[in-house]
Amino acid sequence: MNAIEVNHLRRVYRAQIGVFNRSIKEVVAVDDISFEVKQGELFGLLGPNGAGKTTTVKMLTTLLIPSAGSATVAGVDVVKGANEVRKKIGFIFGGERGLYWRLSGDDNLRYFASLYGVDPSVSKKRIPYLMELVGLKGRGNERVGGYSRGMKQRLHVARTLLHDPDILFLDEPTIGLDPVGAREFRNVILDLQSQKKTILLTTHYMFEADALSDRIAIINKGCVIAMDTPSGLKKHVSDLSVVEVETFGASETALEKLRALPFVDSLSIEDREQKQILLVQTTRGAEAVPDVMTALEGQRVGRVIVREPTLEDAYVRLVGGAA
Amino acid sequence: MNTFTKNIYLFWQGTILSYRALFAWLRPVTYMASKILMPLAQMFFFVFLGSYATDGTATDFYVIGNAIQITAVSGIFGVTFSVGGDRDAGTLPYLFGTPANRFMIFFGRAFMHVIDGTIGVIIALTWGVLLMGLDLSRTDLPALGLTIIITTFSTCGLGLLMGCLSLLTANVMFVNNFVYFSLLIFSGANVAISTLPVWMQVVSNVLPLTRGIAASRMLVAGGSLSDVFPLMVSEIGIGLMYGLLGYFLFAWFETQAKQRGTLETV
Ligand SMILES: Nc1ncnc2c1ncn2[C@@H]1O[C@H](COP(=O)(O)OP(=O)(O)O)[C@@H](O)[C@H]1O
Ligand SMILES: [Mg+2]
Repeated sequence: MNAIEVNHLRRVYRAQIGVFNRSIKEVVAVDDISFEVKQGELFGLLGPNGAGKTTTVKMLTTLLIPSAGSATVAGVDVVKGANEVRKKIGFIFGGERGLYWRLSGDDNLRYFASLYGVDPSVSKKRIPYLMELVGLKGRGNERVGGYSRGMKQRLHVARTLLHDPDILFLDEPTIGLDPVGAREFRNVILDLQSQKKTILLTTHYMFEADALSDRIAIINKGCVIAMDTPSGLKKHVSDLSVVEVETFGASETALEKLRALPFVDSLSIEDREQKQILLVQTTRGAEAVPDVMTALEGQRVGRVIVREPTLEDAYVRLVGGAA
Repeated sequence: MNTFTKNIYLFWQGTILSYRALFAWLRPVTYMASKILMPLAQMFFFVFLGSYATDGTATDFYVIGNAIQITAVSGIFGVTFSVGGDRDAGTLPYLFGTPANRFMIFFGRAFMHVIDGTIGVIIALTWGVLLMGLDLSRTDLPALGLTIIITTFSTCGLGLLMGCLSLLTANVMFVNNFVYFSLLIFSGANVAISTLPVWMQVVSNVLPLTRGIAASRMLVAGGSLSDVFPLMVSEIGIGLMYGLLGYFLFAWFETQAKQRGTLETV
């Protein structure tokens, strides 16, 4: 049995726009999504903002009724068996809200444990264990209002593990965390993965999806546009190399010349303080470098490197192509 | 622990924690002020105004009326905070994502306020005895105690309904104040109901507090439990009616939110 099965799931929101001339606007948040997640797998849902990730997770966690299609979690239909599903899953929607800020960390966990019907003798041992797992040992007596954002987000992880669910839904769990906080968070996720939990993780950080996921579905505009292992997805761009060129105030005409080169697949530019990094996707590998340099003649150029494509390059090609 | 004691324990724990989590007057100083000084202020105001208007012949009428009415501070404001607070805390998705019994969650939110409101009334009556010449020597105190608890319970029933409204609209503080101040008049705390226009008497009759205040006045004047028994049964009925209406609204809110996608998640 698969831990999660999603069959042609669809969700349309009806939003009222305009105060005076009331018209109803339909937003297709999830158009037609199907996938399966095996037991113990860490499955990544990757996609740009507004792709429909959160909407999908809400339907799978019984918080939103699908407009069409169906899904089962732990073999139970998420609409008909909602209460059964709730006992078997844990979930987090990224961000620091959703906790009782006036209560201590421990009391938040006690409250949610009571809602999940966890036996008091069990939660008494489990709460300190979970606080330690998420790196909040010794902070359980403090009011959550005084926690940092990262601490609150980690407390959410502890909250979601109270009833020891087998399946976890983590919707952008690292959103808004600083790099150190995000790394600590990823270590917690790795810990859960080693405990054989099934995890559905949504994120729009590529390296995060790449580092953690067994398989990834890339979704865009409410549809799955690719689904594979991270290395499988990178094969989509295995014909490509990326030439990274550091420039300082490269002119628009030079960039145009670069784009016009026949072997340049795509050009994207990352701005970094005074300099820019030009990312040239090409099928010619290192041989492309002299021509790239010619196109940039007269510009101030720094470091030049040629590298293998990353998941991000695959993503840019896939999402860019579908857009 | 067997299942029954376990469930009682969990209900109790959830009740206390949600009270602390969602009730605004958490800091001891603010809480004490609301519990001790606020009743005193309200009683002084109405008792002196009322005594002045009636040449001091009916002081007890105002003392008892306002002391019992104090229960609406917990019953209306407190309960509304406790039900509606999840909206501000952003905890609704996490709450509705649990398999917890909704009936228990809902009524658990009012539970502590029944105790809290009862204490508030006792404090207010103490002020009445100490400062305003209230005489309880002829009163069946256990019966009065029971009346206070029942009245607080029924007021909390209305509070539960108001709390549900606060899940639907952000403007509930206005509605709360309106209800609280309306109760000052409609409940008969400060006016004899028989002197009100007929339509107002009709409203009085479907509100909590009205019968509780009437029963308390009868008991203070030397009445017995059997005299007030019918009033108390109706008071319980009114509390249950509002509480159940609130519960159905709560259940409806959850279903609607899942269908329309309005269960905010940040
Ligand atoms: N409650 C809602 N009402 C109306 N539209 C919504 C609602 N929630 C999300 N949407 C819209 O649905 C689309 C998908 O949103 P979402 O699932 O949050 O995407 P993601 O999580 O991938 O960023 C977006 O266009 C968003 O504006
Ligand atoms: Mg999202």
